[in-house]
Amino acid sequence: MVMTLMAILINTEKTVSAFHSGGVGPCDACHVMHGTSGSGSALLRGSDPSSTCLHCHERPGSIGPSGHHISTPASDMQQGMPPRQLTPGGDFGWLRKIYIWVPDVSQAPATSYGDQHGHNIVAADYSYLPDALHAAAPRGTYPSASLTCISCHDPHGRYRRNIDGTTMTNGNPIGSSGSYVSSADPQSITSVGVYRLLGGKNYQPRSVAGNLAFLNDPPVAVAPDEYNRSEAASQTRVAYGTGMSEWCQNCHPGMHPVAGSGAPRTHPVGITGRIGSAVANAYNSYVRTGDLTGSAATSFLSLVPFEEGVSDIASLKAHAGTDGSFAAGPDPVSSQVMCLTCHRAHASGWNEALRWNTRTEYIVYNGLYSQEAQAYQPYGQGRTELEAQKAYYDIPSGTFAVNQDSLCHKCHTGALP
Amino acid sequence: MPHLPHHDKLSGICIAMVVLLTMMTITAEAGTVSASYLYSLSDHAGDILYEGGKIFVDPEMNEAYVISNNTVTVFNRTGLEVYRFGENNNLGIIADLALMQNGNILLLSYSRDYRNYQVLLCNYRGEPTRAIEISGVPAGLGDFRPGHIAYYQGRIYLVDQVRLLAVIADEHGQIERHYDIFRILNVKKKDRVNAQMDGFSLDRDGSMLFTLPVMFTACRLSLDEKMDCFGQPGGAKGRFNVISDIITDNRGNYLVADKLKSVVNIYDKEFTFLEAFGYRGAGPGNLTVPLRLGIDSRDRVYVVQSGRRGISVFSLHYN
Ligand code: HEC
Ligand code: HEC
Ligand code: HEC
Ligand code: HEC
Ligand code: HEC
Ligand code: HEC
Repeated sequence: MVMTLMAILINTEKTVSAFHSGGVGPCDACHVMHGTSGSGSALLRGSDPSSTCLHCHERPGSIGPSGHHISTPASDMQQGMPPRQLTPGGDFGWLRKIYIWVPDVSQAPATSYGDQHGHNIVAADYSYLPDALHAAAPRGTYPSASLTCISCHDPHGRYRRNIDGTTMTNGNPIGSSGSYVSSADPQSITSVGVYRLLGGKNYQPRSVAGNLAFLNDPPVAVAPDEYNRSEAASQTRVAYGTGMSEWCQNCHPGMHPVAGSGAPRTHPVGITGRIGSAVANAYNSYVRTGDLTGSAATSFLSLVPFEEGVSDIASLKAHAGTDGSFAAGPDPVSSQVMCLTCHRAHASGWNEALRWNTRTEYIVYNGLYSQEAQAYQPYGQGRTELEAQKAYYDIPSGTFAVNQDSLCHKCHTGALP
Repeated sequence: MPHLPHHDKLSGICIAMVVLLTMMTITAEAGTVSASYLYSLSDHAGDILYEGGKIFVDPEMNEAYVISNNTVTVFNRTGLEVYRFGENNNLGIIADLALMQNGNILLLSYSRDYRNYQVLLCNYRGEPTRAIEISGVPAGLGDFRPGHIAYYQGRIYLVDQVRLLAVIADEHGQIERHYDIFRILNVKKKDRVNAQMDGFSLDRDGSMLFTLPVMFTACRLSLDEKMDCFGQPGGAKGRFNVISDIITDNRGNYLVADKLKSVVNIYDKEFTFLEAFGYRGAGPGNLTVPLRLGIDSRDRVYVVQSGRRGISVFSLHYN
């Protein structure tokens, strides 16, 4: 009782509406501390941790991308209509979308299942079920049945970035979020939250059994203050610094690209995925299929982001944004490929939560993303134009070539290696 | 229980003091109102396992209009589906609806790319007769994107839940007044993006009722800009965890749904807590994440839930 009261007192003194503020938000948003019937684990009153988060992170009736919403309810997405949120991590609503199409006259119908569109968080109150196709994290052991928001995000936001750049779970109190361009910098007596409240070394939700504790700390990155928005007019640039790939490897250790292992489905990332001057030149000159007239200062494409290979927050803050004022491509020395160069962290309109459709020959065909209403849809693959366009965050299809190849070619001109 | 003026609500220290006070003085006048479960909305095949959706209950006909999957389904006074419209997407993306006294329907809908909204005047069968051109949106308040529509005595209310902006127009769509709720509540610019409104409905005198879940607050805004807000975070009965919708009953009490507690709370006119019903569980009268509320003239409360629990109808009893 005294604990509860203390917690309320401390937490209500924060700003009105920043909720987690980079650390632990008011307990009462996630726990029913006393006084009601029934019981739940850790006093939670959702069916599971993800449902607890979605009480706030899914807003039924939301009509467009805004704020911290990362899920669209089924009731807001009839046939042919896409999820509505456009955050860098992606809208989990894509997990609710199934696509079936006929590629050509000689082939059987093909399917892209909802479960293939990203991380299947388990949230019973919101009809998100465990992945039916993977029992555990590919190249890892994390069980799909235990995958929730708190598998990745620490609900109590204990990990903090200190003034000396170190990450720890204790020490100076967390003053605010550390995720944004406008976030405060850590001071000698206050720290800031790590990027997106992600779990760091030794993190493992208490309710998940097994030896799954994270080996790597959260990535260093900075998001623009407005991050949930249409990219029709300008791109949303998250400035990824370092450590994202290593962080993903907390659960996908086997995705680690062992040089020369020849293992399929790995791509050099992190330090082994240094872009180098040849690939940087390719990235910078690539505008679209058939147009290699781009320049280093304006070549950035939010569908193919990279890590800058630095952990200097000040320079990352200068690079994150939404007005396109910083649109430079990769640095030939420090920049590196990371998992999120190709994937989104939550979900996307394409298989494996990829940022673009890697399973088609042309991501734009005949000027359109889709082949809506046509009998055979080898390129559009069952999506409506609206769905495909949202999956590309509203970037107009005219940005690309009339027949546009896979965006792997942003870095690999000519045939893929 | 102290009645919080909104300015105090916005100061952390004052909240902390009030919390302390109410911790000691909380007394619920339980037993003055109770609720019993009647049935769930259904079609010929049985209960419809809606997951979310919006609801509007017509107090004249005691019919319920449910918007889900871009289809409006109409249920009769006994909770059986009688009619549906919009399912062929001919009305755009339906955001909300309201009923006029003459049985006509006002539909708020968006173009398929969500760029533009329109208010459609439809007959009682949902057939559009014409669009009502909304004009006079106050400049300088940004892009106005309403998500709620309401109707009261010849006036159309449109509410943007992100910008916390409410406008009131006449039946021709000419905006007569607007309410910049962020300004009235004195919310700092940088806090605004996260303080989105969830539930919205009208009080019996045309005042606006709405919830700000992340602020643990429900408010009533009168037409002359008098703002009364209430709510404190907490697990005790009547406190707010994560609230969603708010409506008034036929006697001027307020019903506020709480998603985390999975209850519907009932407060009197002075926002004093009276009773709560629902609670998480598998029983027919239990609730799973109540999202939207409606009430008819027979004191029947409709509760739209998540988790494929459909829409439960309860009867309120006063003594
Ligand atoms: C954003 C939601 C959220 C907030 C805010 C929150 N918690 Fe939790 N809490 C959780 C979740 C989810 C779990 C379950 C963890 C698990 O399943 O392992 C949990 C678990 C716990 C546990 C069990 C031990 C543990 O760490 O797993 C305690 C004790 C606890 N919380 C106390 C608090 C207190 C005190 C506050 C306020 C200072 C608070 N929580 C705020 C979501 C939250
Ligand atoms: C009471 C509503 C509420 C609940 C419950 C809630 N959130 Fe949030 N969340 C917010 C709001 C508001 C923001 C944006 C403001 C902020 O960051 O404090 C946010 C922001 C976030 C962010 C970005 C924070 C940053 O600093 O970059 C993450 C990640 C997040 N939430 C995860 C979660 C997870 C995981 C849970 C469940 C364990 C959860 N939230 C529960 C309201 C909520
Ligand atoms: C597999 C790990 C993982 C899971 C599971 C996960 N997140 Fe995230 N989340 C991330 C990462 C990584 C980012 C940063 C993405 C970026 O910046 O590109 C992120 C970003 C966010 C953000 C900021 C907006 C955005 O999308 O960029 C919010 C809010 C958030 N997560 C909430 C949630 C909630 C709520 C859940 C559960 C419903 C959840 N996350 C599940 C890893 C995860
Ligand atoms: C907490 C553990 C955890 C972390 C951290 C994690 N993953 Fe996963 N991931 C899983 C599990 C479990 C699955 C299998 C279940 C599923 O696909 O939903 C999975 C599946 C995937 C899939 C296949 C998705 C599909 O639809 O088939 C991709 C791609 C993926 N992860 C990429 C990433 C990336 C990129 C990151 C870092 C941003 C990451 N993961 C971080 C646990 C994790
Ligand atoms: C250059 C682009 C690229 C990068 C970088 C990348 N992936 Fe992938 N990933 C793909 C593609 C494409 C697929 C689809 C499967 C295929 O075609 O091999 C995939 C598939 C996956 C899968 C699903 C595997 C399965 O068996 O279902 C997981 C999990 C995954 N990636 C995780 C990661 C992680 C973790 C990282 C970083 C360590 C990463 N990926 C880096 C492109 C990439
Ligand atoms: C952001 C730039 C970038 C993108 C996008 C990219 N790659 Fe790479 N790729 C690299 C770099 C850097 C290397 C390592 C150096 C080299 O081989 O030139 C590499 C190497 C490879 C290799 C050789 C792997 C090895 O172990 O030698 C293959 C195969 C490959 N990429 C395929 C792909 C495919 C397929 C895609 C699209 C799904 C893709 N790449 C997208 C930058 C990129």
